[in-house]
Amino acid sequence: MELNLNQVDYLQVGVTSQKIMKLLPTVGRKATQKPVFKSLPGQKISRLELGGALGTPQEKIFVCSGSEVRAYTKKGKQFLTFEANLTESINAMHVSGADLFVCASYIYNHFCDCKDQDYYLSGDKINDVLCLPVETVGRTVPILACQDRVLRVLQGSNLLYDVEVSGPPTVLELHNRDGGKDGEDVLYGTADGKLGLVRITQSGPITSWELDNEKKKGGVLCIDTFDIVGDGVKDILVGRDDGTVEVYGLDSSNEPTLRFENSVTSIQGGCVGKEMYDEVLTTTYTGWVSGLTTEPQQMVAGPGDEIKMSRETQGRVAALRGELEQLQLKVLQGREKYQQSSQSSTAVSAVPVFSINDKFTLCQDDASYSLTLEVQTAIDNLLLQSDVPIDLLDVDKNSAVVSFSECDSESNGNFLLATYRCQANTTRLELKVRSIEGQYGTLQAYVTPRLQPKTSQVRQYQIKPLSLHQRIHTIDQNRPMNTLRLMGQFSFAEIHSWVVFCLPEVPEKTPAGESITFYFQNTFLGTQLDATYCKDDANFKSDNISTISILKDVLSKEATKRKINLNISYEVNEDSVNHTLQMIHPKLEYQLILAKKVQLIDALKELQVHEGNADFLIPEYRSILDESAKLLEEYKKQPAHLERLYGMITDLFIDKFKFKGQNVKTKVSHLLEILNNYELNSLMDFFNEA
Amino acid sequence: MLVPIFTLKLNHKINPRMVTVGKYDGVHPCLTAATQAGKVFIHNPHTRGQRPTAHRLSQSTQDSDISLLNINQIVSCLTAGTLGPNTTGHTLLVGSQTNLLAYDVHDNADVFYKEVADGANSIVLGKLGDIKSPLAIIGGNCALQGFDYEGNDKFWTVTGDNVRSLVLCDFTGDGKNELLVGSEDFDIRVFREDELVTEMAENETVTSLCHMHGSRFGYALANGTVGVYDRTARYWRIKSKNHAMSIKAFDLNADGVVELITGWSNGKIDARSDRTGEVIFKDNFSSSVAGIVEGDYRMDGQIQLICTSVEGEVRGYLPASKEMKGNLMDASVEQDLIRDLSQRKQNLLLELRNYEENAKVAVSGVSEGESKMGVIPANTQLQTALSVRRATESQRAHIELNISTPNAETIIRAVLIFAEGIFEGESHVVHPSVQNLSGCVCVPIIPPKDIPVDLHIKAFVGGKTSALFHVFEITRQLPRFSMYDLNVDPSAGQPTGRVTFSINDRPQRVVMWLNQNFLLPEGIDSPDITFNALRGGGLLKISMQPSGEITFSTDDIDLAGDLVQSLASFLAIEDLQAEADFPIYFKELQDTLSEVDEFHSVHQKLTATMADHSNFVRNMLVQAEDARLMGDWRTTKKRYTELYDLNRDLINEYKIRSNNHRALLARLKSVNQAIQRAGRFRVGKPKNLVITACRDAIKNNNINALFKIMRIGTSSS
Repeated sequence: MELNLNQVDYLQVGVTSQKIMKLLPTVGRKATQKPVFKSLPGQKISRLELGGALGTPQEKIFVCSGSEVRAYTKKGKQFLTFEANLTESINAMHVSGADLFVCASYIYNHFCDCKDQDYYLSGDKINDVLCLPVETVGRTVPILACQDRVLRVLQGSNLLYDVEVSGPPTVLELHNRDGGKDGEDVLYGTADGKLGLVRITQSGPITSWELDNEKKKGGVLCIDTFDIVGDGVKDILVGRDDGTVEVYGLDSSNEPTLRFENSVTSIQGGCVGKEMYDEVLTTTYTGWVSGLTTEPQQMVAGPGDEIKMSRETQGRVAALRGELEQLQLKVLQGREKYQQSSQSSTAVSAVPVFSINDKFTLCQDDASYSLTLEVQTAIDNLLLQSDVPIDLLDVDKNSAVVSFSECDSESNGNFLLATYRCQANTTRLELKVRSIEGQYGTLQAYVTPRLQPKTSQVRQYQIKPLSLHQRIHTIDQNRPMNTLRLMGQFSFAEIHSWVVFCLPEVPEKTPAGESITFYFQNTFLGTQLDATYCKDDANFKSDNISTISILKDVLSKEATKRKINLNISYEVNEDSVNHTLQMIHPKLEYQLILAKKVQLIDALKELQVHEGNADFLIPEYRSILDESAKLLEEYKKQPAHLERLYGMITDLFIDKFKFKGQNVKTKVSHLLEILNNYELNSLMDFFNEA
Repeated sequence: MLVPIFTLKLNHKINPRMVTVGKYDGVHPCLTAATQAGKVFIHNPHTRGQRPTAHRLSQSTQDSDISLLNINQIVSCLTAGTLGPNTTGHTLLVGSQTNLLAYDVHDNADVFYKEVADGANSIVLGKLGDIKSPLAIIGGNCALQGFDYEGNDKFWTVTGDNVRSLVLCDFTGDGKNELLVGSEDFDIRVFREDELVTEMAENETVTSLCHMHGSRFGYALANGTVGVYDRTARYWRIKSKNHAMSIKAFDLNADGVVELITGWSNGKIDARSDRTGEVIFKDNFSSSVAGIVEGDYRMDGQIQLICTSVEGEVRGYLPASKEMKGNLMDASVEQDLIRDLSQRKQNLLLELRNYEENAKVAVSGVSEGESKMGVIPANTQLQTALSVRRATESQRAHIELNISTPNAETIIRAVLIFAEGIFEGESHVVHPSVQNLSGCVCVPIIPPKDIPVDLHIKAFVGGKTSALFHVFEITRQLPRFSMYDLNVDPSAGQPTGRVTFSINDRPQRVVMWLNQNFLLPEGIDSPDITFNALRGGGLLKISMQPSGEITFSTDDIDLAGDLVQSLASFLAIEDLQAEADFPIYFKELQDTLSEVDEFHSVHQKLTATMADHSNFVRNMLVQAEDARLMGDWRTTKKRYTELYDLNRDLINEYKIRSNNHRALLARLKSVNQAIQRAGRFRVGKPKNLVITACRDAIKNNNINALFKIMRIGTSSS
């Protein structure tokens, strides 16, 4: 079924946070609902929820800012202020009747009638909190969405069970707003753009479905369910951080299908809130509140040449113009004052920090980092600087003109200096960065918006030594593993901080307990790493010898820095190298065949034109011609894939012999020769013989 | 929203910028484009049915609407139009690196086939100046050549570098067409027949030009810039990270004024207003755009805009109907207005907040916690200085841009310089490491050419630990001749080359010119001065006699030409005759000319051998086939082995021939450049005379006369 939605802008407020807008329920027969939202200026409000006594319209407004929760009636009267007594500020909140659930970074607290009930300390950052509806379930089941790819289902102050999901969950919402028939259906969205439905039963989770993010759209920021199509079945509305709004419908087998797609490119990054009768209402990071309405926009072309504006819009335009004029006057005064102050020798110039919404995440499918930056006003230019060698990749969505500057890596340690000059009205920039494992440092982004007086803000992003690794839940125990063992006088906190330094997606807080185990997977090669450590003892196991080598180098360097004596022992499993090569083999072979085929396409096409048809070609070539478009697309998607694989094989080769105490750098050219005439057996022989 | 009225998939690749529409029978427009394997295809959907196949033309077996034309050379440009005086249909013109073919598609016959030594990078068909018949003008390596319908060479001149784009338009408004030439030395030159009217310097290779209306024309550069000029003034330009493949003027919104339609390398098509550059329409192809043309492809009396992609996709757009009110995009005017106003309000509010917060801090004083805010004294100023630095052990000769703040507590975190044409990209960044942070940054600049450059400097100033920096924006101009140092090494040899001419102006005016165009630390008051050329080495001596005779002494012939042109335009001299002598360069040129002769004779020799060999091949093949039919397998095998050897020889010879040809082309290019350089010593009429005379001398192979003309500017003594 086709769905046409038109965009209507309502107003622009300040920078908004995630999950910050709700629509008040209709009272009586009032036709339109009133949106409620809060914005950043003043003290930052991090969440907004609607609540009320169970069974009555949910029209009390709860907001949290800092470590405080306030509640207002819908007329705007404040009736509750509650200090949660958390050391950190609240970043997630849920209200259900008299129950209040609040979460700071790692801490979850449950209050009932403002009395402390339960407390839980999570292993990783909590992104969102939800409670199954008490009316239908009959008990309080809080669910935490945690950064380490787990939904934690609690019972009182204890963990009931974990639900593993494929990406870091960012948002939780009850399916159909009431959790379905049994009130146990929970929708979740992840930072890497996946969407899923899971049933939280008493005994365990049942995963209904999960949608992959094939088109590489942004991460999910907000979800809602509403029957926008008007067919009696509720649809799922999804808002993503790249400004896309999606509507998924559920077909007869309850599988979601994409019904409507609207890339809201002019408004970027956003949180979908709720909707009016026939409208999807959205707020964006830049503060726009707009609706996507199902009603066709009415364009009245009058008899004259001018397109008639509705009276309402005319009024709005006039009001806006008036406001603008006044503002301009004020700004002029401000500017003058500012100019004057530059004459005085004692005055200072201090411009407040503008807010930047930034994200630096590892993309699983192409093993590269994507950096997104969003500012409330248009960006003028962006300077990227890095002290490690990294590749900057072109992103189609990005229209800014990039220019690479010469780097003086010796004297100033710059390995990348690039400027992005943005086109007018660019508030959001997306970049892709490819890192090399083992080379670590900092990427800095200087963002300069088009705002007077001109300022530039720097943001820093760590490129970790094992930058291409990602947390997983289980690992394959049957692989041949190399081990690295560190022993010495170090505390649990110290070893944890080193692991944080080396690997992404590890919580900064030292975990509770005596020891901890984390599992990782290399997103590019698929090799795995098991990190188990406690006070004075740390074990790292990986089937990739390069991973172990990098860890050994970095950890011993860190320990030397802190003057800690480390006893490093390692055990190299000879089979692991062949195992890794065998893991690389299918990828390498695929890439080589692809490259070969792509090379042939042009020549074959020419032959085809020359001969008039392709019947004379052998079937293999004919199939290349038939699939040419697909092959080219595939080839374009993975730039420098082959080079990266070659680089990793070379590293593997060098590392293997490094552990034996041999320097084989002289043989690398020979290795490359073998790679150029690639065959798995000859490569394995070379590794074994050399 | 404007949608295409027809879409075709042609299944043939299209070479970028080689697309045209021709009415070869005088009625039906046919899309014509160069494709792979040295072929040109003609798409003619109007007269379906069997057409005879003969000569060059053959029917494509894939698609009956398409005929293929075998050129057997790599096509480099093509166009179609009326060339002959009494022909009803259009003539197709196809240029390659060695030849120009004029072909009558309707009659399936060659009109003429000319060898063009300088190659044809670009072609345009039309009337030029006072020349009566329409000309097919090709631009090659530094040369422009125009042919009439009989293949007579009616027009010839040289230009600064390889020609990449041509267009005919009435630039001066005199009712006659001038020729606009975009070349690889980043210049757009305007020729009134063979007289150079004016030139405009851009900052990249000019890849496309198109006539808009009146004296207005659009241009595209290799770095992704497109824009519009009106005469010599640039109206607007925009830059994209993609490359503009093709530009075309077309009135898409039916408001009576043409828009600039641009096809981009990422498959995007956009239409921009000729006045502001504002996008009024856009669409996307899945692959790079190859060319944009117009024609009445549906034969219904309406002209369509026809866009083609390199993969052979063709889309036709009709100009917008009246109902659309020029609103081609899928947007609502009122929504846009409200959005725009709100955005402005938001910006003002934010700016106001900046001032208010600033005032607050000013009152309360700086507390320690706010050090992240990047507080700097309000009277902080940025000083910039330009100076010439000679080469040292570690660094090449450069111009040093020194940026400093006087305050001790503020540092410069980074400096961004945006400038055109002097850096590899469009910007240069200096980002000192944390240890090297200070209030002073030196930026070495090495301009590769003698061009005036605006340096747009953005300096990030703040405290040592701050995360927020104030951005200081300053623009400095680098004078045209900046890489020349006043400190002269006394031991350096005197330059042998010189150019001398007389002017009727006071020496003060020349001094003024010197001060404006050179980087002089404290200015000078006499026009006699010696510089050390930092880029090329050697000395540059400028002297002026009381009689008004000026001499530039240098061994750099290009520099001498640039100086003459710059001074002449500064003093507004219309005609200037000069004497020049560059013994070293003239000696080189003489060698080049004799090499040209050599290569020519080698070329002829090789052609002769090749003809011999192809005769052999023919004989051998007949013998081999005979043997095969007789069943004499030994002889067959022997003959085929011989044939194989012969084939290898032929390939080797071909390689020699192509190397020879390449060398010949390079020499011819430098000869053309020599003529151009000789022209640059003069201005106005004397300049054109020199160029024509030089060419005549080369045509008649009169080397002595050539050098004489280059020296004194005329052939007659």
